[in-house]
Amino acid sequence: MTGLTPSFDLGRTEGRGLRETFRGYLTAARIGWAVEANWADPILFFTYSVAKPIAAALILVVMLDIVSGGQAPAYRRYVVTGVALWSFVQGGFAGLAMSVLEDRERYRMLKYVYVSPTTFAVALLGRGTARVAIGGMGALTTLAFGALVLGMPVDPARVDVLLFVASMALGLVAIIALGLGMAAVVLQTRQDSWSYPEAVAGAMFLLVGAVFPLAVLPGPVQAIGLVLPLTWWMEGVRRSLFPGGVSAVGGPGSLFTELTGREAPDTPALLLALLGTTLLVTLAAAVAFRVSEHRAKDRGLIDQTSGS
Amino acid sequence: MPSIPLAIDTRGIERVYKAKPRPITALAGVDLRVEPGEFFGLLGPNGAGKTTLIKILTTLLLPTAGTAHVFGFDVERETKRIRRIMNIVSGGEQSGYGLLLVREQLWMFSQFYGLGAREGWRRVDELIEAVGLQDQRLQKVSSLSTGQRQKMNMARGLLNDPWILFLDEPTLGLDVSAARAVRTLIREWKGAVVGRTVLLTSHYMAEVEELCDRLAIVDRGRIVAIGTPADLKRRIQRDSIFRLELDRLDGGASSLSGLPGVLKAVTASDGSSTSGGARQRTAVKLVLADDNALGPVVTALGQRGSQIVSLEKSEPTLEEVFVQLVGRSFADDSEDGGSDTDGRGSSSGTDGAMADPSAPPPPTAATERMTEDAPLAATGLPER
Ligand SMILES: Nc1ncnc2c1ncn2[C@@H]1O[C@H](COP(=O)(O)OP(=O)(O)O)[C@@H](O)[C@H]1O
Ligand SMILES: [Mg+2]
Repeated sequence: MTGLTPSFDLGRTEGRGLRETFRGYLTAARIGWAVEANWADPILFFTYSVAKPIAAALILVVMLDIVSGGQAPAYRRYVVTGVALWSFVQGGFAGLAMSVLEDRERYRMLKYVYVSPTTFAVALLGRGTARVAIGGMGALTTLAFGALVLGMPVDPARVDVLLFVASMALGLVAIIALGLGMAAVVLQTRQDSWSYPEAVAGAMFLLVGAVFPLAVLPGPVQAIGLVLPLTWWMEGVRRSLFPGGVSAVGGPGSLFTELTGREAPDTPALLLALLGTTLLVTLAAAVAFRVSEHRAKDRGLIDQTSGS
Repeated sequence: MPSIPLAIDTRGIERVYKAKPRPITALAGVDLRVEPGEFFGLLGPNGAGKTTLIKILTTLLLPTAGTAHVFGFDVERETKRIRRIMNIVSGGEQSGYGLLLVREQLWMFSQFYGLGAREGWRRVDELIEAVGLQDQRLQKVSSLSTGQRQKMNMARGLLNDPWILFLDEPTLGLDVSAARAVRTLIREWKGAVVGRTVLLTSHYMAEVEELCDRLAIVDRGRIVAIGTPADLKRRIQRDSIFRLELDRLDGGASSLSGLPGVLKAVTASDGSSTSGGARQRTAVKLVLADDNALGPVVTALGQRGSQIVSLEKSEPTLEEVFVQLVGRSFADDSEDGGSDTDGRGSSSGTDGAMADPSAPPPPTAATERMTEDAPLAATGLPER
């Protein structure tokens, strides 16, 4: 057998910079899209991504109507947008962290992804992006359901496009950053951690004003909510879609009003708070992930499976 | 062209795992040098530290102490460079994204290695053919058999045309024919381009013996011996052992014991020394002080009217090398190793039969090829 001698060209060991990074990111997103969306089983996919948020919105709206005697249309919008937006968190936060566990324990591919030249965090961000996109489908369907069935149409003329785009962009960054932070945590766990991401997501659901304003929570707990970018993201998106609605942050009994003396944050303050908390969370997640990756490599956790 | 650095160069690699009752020392100072182009084996029982060493070399795990370089790059600091020119395939696992098609999954990995989109498809199709998965290429990964999954995993491992391929027990858990196909594939890939390097771990001695140019015997985190299989066998002290088949032997095997240079003579277990048959043959196992003692034995047999039907010298096996070096049998504690020379035991004596059902057949039987031509030569694409 005649063979070519490998040239051992050291140029091959060098990266191709951003192009390579971007290719790795897109590939991970494609894998995520194909693997998580479960296109092969549309019924299952529909149930999880679409029916679940709609059902949740419906249940909450019915409960709200019973409690208020149907007298709280503003709260209806509040609840439905909260549930719809939560689909993004479900995907980009819990889903991203779950993909670490799934790749490691179920598909056993984490180590092969890890030893490829694509940066591990970049691959995870790609997976997170796919999950966010899938979550976005759930969010859109839920909002459409709200508009068509629950009688809460979005008035295009009144939508604050700038606020919407800015809130969404920052919010998605924050969600993925939080997801990366959660991934850093589950990377350290050996087993029985499948429920962690959902549990943390559940706790945040209550803290960020998804279905009820922060004002109903005790002061110190509200403080946690105010530090989480998800709170400001939801506030921003709600305000952009339904101007003049109920504020999650301010109002009587709220820590925000107590501290600032204002009824609700004005839009620039809201965006500033969203930007600040997003930066904070992103920085914290980046540090956590670095530390976690190093520790995982030190302890041999990258290819850890519950079996061994 | 500057001289090529060693493919693997480890100095004093230690690895201690923090574990519950007390820390586990998986590697206790490993110095290993492998040249580019070598097919190198790490042979050792379960728990010897083989996987730990491979994980360190493939940038999955940090060493506790010592340094390791792959083609001159530090495994701790130059991980990206190493990852571009190496790949790893492990056995004994069912890996893969079940929902993806075989071709899809491989293509996605080609993208992780920075191949262009079209270049990726081309490489994937070549490799699918090389590993013999043409018929499964459009199947879901979840529908593959264990053997097919491992072939796909091999294809993934070859996507970046690695300078060095790490194989961690690549045939573990495969049936005999799948294991053989994987070994053939490895041998062909390695042989197709001069300079390709393979580090293979295994606890199947015959596999290492069949594939590797050179090997290290590893036990309890240390390299206890290193060399070519022939070197290692030569190194152990051993008497000359011959197996003779005779048409008849009056007085039985013990009658040979008194001859000069004969340390022991026993009836071999597998000889058909059954009484009653018209044509009896007798197999005798002779342990001689050295090869020169054979001559007088042959003469003596002739004088007694015994015809020699066959005569063969039994070669030491790597198993014996291991037992001599380490002082215990290879196959954990479960088996009492074949130390019987009284010829009454089963057919596993010193003839190297192995209990492991998935162990490869002896090299002579393994010459069949998976494919007639060598598709892997084609994947030795010129580097850019
Ligand atoms: N992540 C881990 N944590 C604790 N101990 C481990 C870990 N991985 C391996 N070990 C231990 O280290 C030793 C060497 O293991 P390994 O490298 O897998 O050996 P081999 O591959 O030769 O069978 C064994 O005693 C094993 O139990
Ligand atoms: Mg092992």
